[in-house]
Amino acid sequence: MSPRKLWSVAWKELIQSARDPLSLGMLLGVPCMMLLLYGYALSFDVRHIRLAVQDNDKSVASRDLIASFVNSTYFDLVATPPPGTDLEKLTARRTAKAVLVIPERTAENLAAGRTAQVQLLLDGSDSNMAATILGYANALVAAANVTRLTEAGGKIALAPIDFEPRVWYNPDLDSTHFLVPGLIGFILMLTAVLSTALSVVREKERGTMEQIRVTSLKPGELIVGKTLPYLGISLSATVLILLAARFLFGVAVTGSYLHLFAATLIYLIGALGFGLLISSMVDTQAMAFQAGSLASMLPAIFLSGFIFPLRSMPWPLQWISYAVPARYFNVVLRGVILKGAGLESYPRDVGFLLLYATVVLVLAYVRLSRKEV
Amino acid sequence: MQALLSMIRKEFQQLRQDRKMIPAMIVGPVIQLIVLGFAANLDVNHIPLVLVDQDRTPASRALVDRFTGSGYFDLVGSEETAQTIEPWLVEGKAQIALVIPSSYGEDLAAGRPPKVQAIADGTDSNSSGLGLGYVSQIVSGEGAELVAAKRPLLEKTIGKPVGELELVPRVWYNPDLRSRWFYVPAVLAMVLMLVTMILPSMAVVKEKEIGTLEQLIVTPLRPWQIILGKLTPFVVVGMLDLCLITGLVTGLFKVPLRGSFLLLVALTFLFLMTTLGLGLLVSSLVRTQQQAMGFCVYVLMVPMIYLSGLIFPIENMPHGFQVASTVIPVRYYANILRGIFLKGAGIDVLWPDALALLIIGTTVLTLASLRFRKSLD
Amino acid sequence: MDNKAIEADRLVKRFGAFVAVDDVTLDVREGEVFGLLGSNGAGKSTLIRMFCGLLTPTSGKGLVLGLDIGRQSEAIRRRIGYMTQRFSLYDDLTVRQNLDFYSGVYGLRGKERGDRIAWAIKMANLGGKESLVTRSLPGGWKQRLALACAVLHRPQVVFLDEPTGGVDPISRRRFWTLIDEMSGEGVTLIVTTHYLDEAERCDRIALMHAGRLLAVGTVPEMKQVFAGRAILEVHCPRFLEAQEHLDRESWVLEASVFGDRLHVVVTDAQDGRRRILELLEREGNTPAAIERIVPSLEDVFIHSIEQDDLSSGKADHSGKKERS
Repeated sequence: MSPRKLWSVAWKELIQSARDPLSLGMLLGVPCMMLLLYGYALSFDVRHIRLAVQDNDKSVASRDLIASFVNSTYFDLVATPPPGTDLEKLTARRTAKAVLVIPERTAENLAAGRTAQVQLLLDGSDSNMAATILGYANALVAAANVTRLTEAGGKIALAPIDFEPRVWYNPDLDSTHFLVPGLIGFILMLTAVLSTALSVVREKERGTMEQIRVTSLKPGELIVGKTLPYLGISLSATVLILLAARFLFGVAVTGSYLHLFAATLIYLIGALGFGLLISSMVDTQAMAFQAGSLASMLPAIFLSGFIFPLRSMPWPLQWISYAVPARYFNVVLRGVILKGAGLESYPRDVGFLLLYATVVLVLAYVRLSRKEV
Repeated sequence: MQALLSMIRKEFQQLRQDRKMIPAMIVGPVIQLIVLGFAANLDVNHIPLVLVDQDRTPASRALVDRFTGSGYFDLVGSEETAQTIEPWLVEGKAQIALVIPSSYGEDLAAGRPPKVQAIADGTDSNSSGLGLGYVSQIVSGEGAELVAAKRPLLEKTIGKPVGELELVPRVWYNPDLRSRWFYVPAVLAMVLMLVTMILPSMAVVKEKEIGTLEQLIVTPLRPWQIILGKLTPFVVVGMLDLCLITGLVTGLFKVPLRGSFLLLVALTFLFLMTTLGLGLLVSSLVRTQQQAMGFCVYVLMVPMIYLSGLIFPIENMPHGFQVASTVIPVRYYANILRGIFLKGAGIDVLWPDALALLIIGTTVLTLASLRFRKSLD
Repeated sequence: MDNKAIEADRLVKRFGAFVAVDDVTLDVREGEVFGLLGSNGAGKSTLIRMFCGLLTPTSGKGLVLGLDIGRQSEAIRRRIGYMTQRFSLYDDLTVRQNLDFYSGVYGLRGKERGDRIAWAIKMANLGGKESLVTRSLPGGWKQRLALACAVLHRPQVVFLDEPTGGVDPISRRRFWTLIDEMSGEGVTLIVTTHYLDEAERCDRIALMHAGRLLAVGTVPEMKQVFAGRAILEVHCPRFLEAQEHLDRESWVLEASVFGDRLHVVVTDAQDGRRRILELLEREGNTPAAIERIVPSLEDVFIHSIEQDDLSSGKADHSGKKERS
């Protein structure tokens, strides 16, 4: 390895990136945009559910129930359809997510000590939201029943169980806390794999690869030289995400920066190596993009535990997820950033990341040096 | 007309020539669908639970049984005191710790509400939030049962029955609340964006890069013929993907297609107008394929997917983002997809979405064609 | 008889502050092989791209076959062919597929289409290579295929923008034979080049520099600028130094370096030879030989550029004076 040759490759690559402010801006700006999106716009927390109420009873009891729904702050009353309305149309047109139907004689039934049924019609197409709505409604109705019992109960002691939830590391269950590490893993995978693969394939397409190969540059030098700038850019993106997380969302790194840096570096090397590996297998930028996004981006979102919990997946997918480096990186990063843990707490995950980086780099080296690229 | 046909034929020949492209456009979406179909599942179960039962009475064991029997939790270990649970949570071996105090059984017997504690690892805020919700449900379920057990005694003492409300939920469209039904049609939108937005923009930029675009312009081909010729194959592949994915969605994932497939095809054409227009617009703004790809993915696709309600509900977003989402075509296509697949909606319900797509599509295509002509200068 | 294939009247093309084509006026006659000569960035390609309708002129007027390049570019495109150094072919298609594509795009059909494709294959000498992927062809073959594609529709005017760039000498010669053949059939060809030997093969040439048209005419006409003058080729040891010294003398009209020699323009050959010898001997830079030579196109080219730089330099100078 000659540092001077290496530097000239890296420098050329850096100049090319700088000449292309659009791409560079995307590499650096996009992580921040994603963080803003996640931090401000996206959440699975369900509030302001559009509720329509058809009150056919119009009694004190029915009004109390409606009031308890509206006062819970989960529901916004958007419509009070008169009897005979096609209630399904209301949900099909998405005017309301749920319709509460209180039948006639509800108050009468309750007073007589009978069970009074109220109906909740739900748009189940967004299952996640529907389940949450159902949970809220059940809790509200159960609370109403306990109130009725205790009011009637007099001296008999009724003891429901008090439940005290406590959350560590992220007391408000703020999803930005959880998304920051996942986002770093995802963005790094994306930028590292795609930029490296595309930059190598671009040289193939333009024929400059051949030009470089006739120089005395060794394959190793070419590989390291080409990946170094993207390593730098990706690390800058990481710093940007951490800064934005710190100052916009108050997510601070509680663990050691050294450990964070070490973990990120190992992960990045693996990702860059994977980009090189892809570049050795395809000939066009369009293909590189397809393969890169399919093989890196998709697993980094879906099979890393970033958004969707791995434990609820069918076992074949869980097995595949063991080969996804983002999965391990997520665990380590969450530990270091949010729990203040060190790498020593995650020997298995760090070990896998090292193994992945080594295997991928060796494969890329073998393919790039052997083949006529 | 003949010139246009030649253009279209050439595009297909090039597609066929690129042996890796066709599989990428067909196999890619299928893999995406399968992965998403199985992975995109927000329902949380098998949450690893560590137990601290300081009471060890039949009452506390009844509560624990309720947890293990729920299917939501896997008991992965137990500790004597709450002080020693930290390593479980730090290393991620457990996500929630359940602490039952030593006075649990005693309090219950005495009619005092006992206190049960759950400690969750908040770093995975989503599944911890859901997990705590399940804990709360199970605990209040146990509580309600204990209260209900006393109802006959109570009614006997006050001498009359106490009325009770019962909530009868009826879930439309997706009665079992399968989140797969919600996410799987979303894949269609993503695949179509890939095939009809990103790839065409790269294909146009490629002709710019190699100089053939200039060559085409000095031929009698009109700009609209060049555009149409370049875009047609992607429309065809997009439509193939539509059929393929619809087949898989209904066949493999058993998601019902309750509405009309023909309507789906027709409205998909409207959606393609917007994606093709955007792809074309991008190709007129950039110089290299790499830029086209980056622009499409980061600046268009990612925000569009996230702000369209495909994954995250629009209702939960701040007002500004909700307003922004009204110009995102995928928002309307998501409504159309879910409307047709799950709700069996017809054009009488979906016309506002179709109209929105038509307006956005026409605007974008006009803009793109103008920019395309201009960018040739 | 002398119908104009192309007329340009004070054409200007600006890209922002940069003036790529500056006030160009010229005519090209039908059936002519017209060469546009100039260094890189002289504005040749921009001029051609305006004629083809690829660029809109900033100002001025241009006619191709009597059609206005601003308003009738559509009609022009049916009648012209265009080929560049980049050989804009589809690399991933076969020879035949490329020909099929371009013939379809130009609206050829039926028997004519078949005939023209057969003609093109014969012309480009690609018989038996129809199903090869274009990427695998050598440069010279690609060049001929690109030309064949560009003239499938029998255009009356063909624009060739540095058509022989990056091609070996034999292919270049063969290519010029094709140009001559087409010219023989009455096609007007406009060729840009910076090879002077190619320019000598044109009926008429135009010299361009920094966007301006410096001179137009046949090669002998061009050389007329040296009428009444003589060019002396001087071989001497320190030629760079000698050029500097000679340039200062009032009797030397021009002294420029050609390789390791000097070309010195004087009014009288005998007198010039004597004075040069005197001057250089005095400086101990005795020339090995001084010969009178026939002016080449290169001499004309360099002469014109120097004249142009001189006059535009003066213009700048006077401009400054006015402002101050």
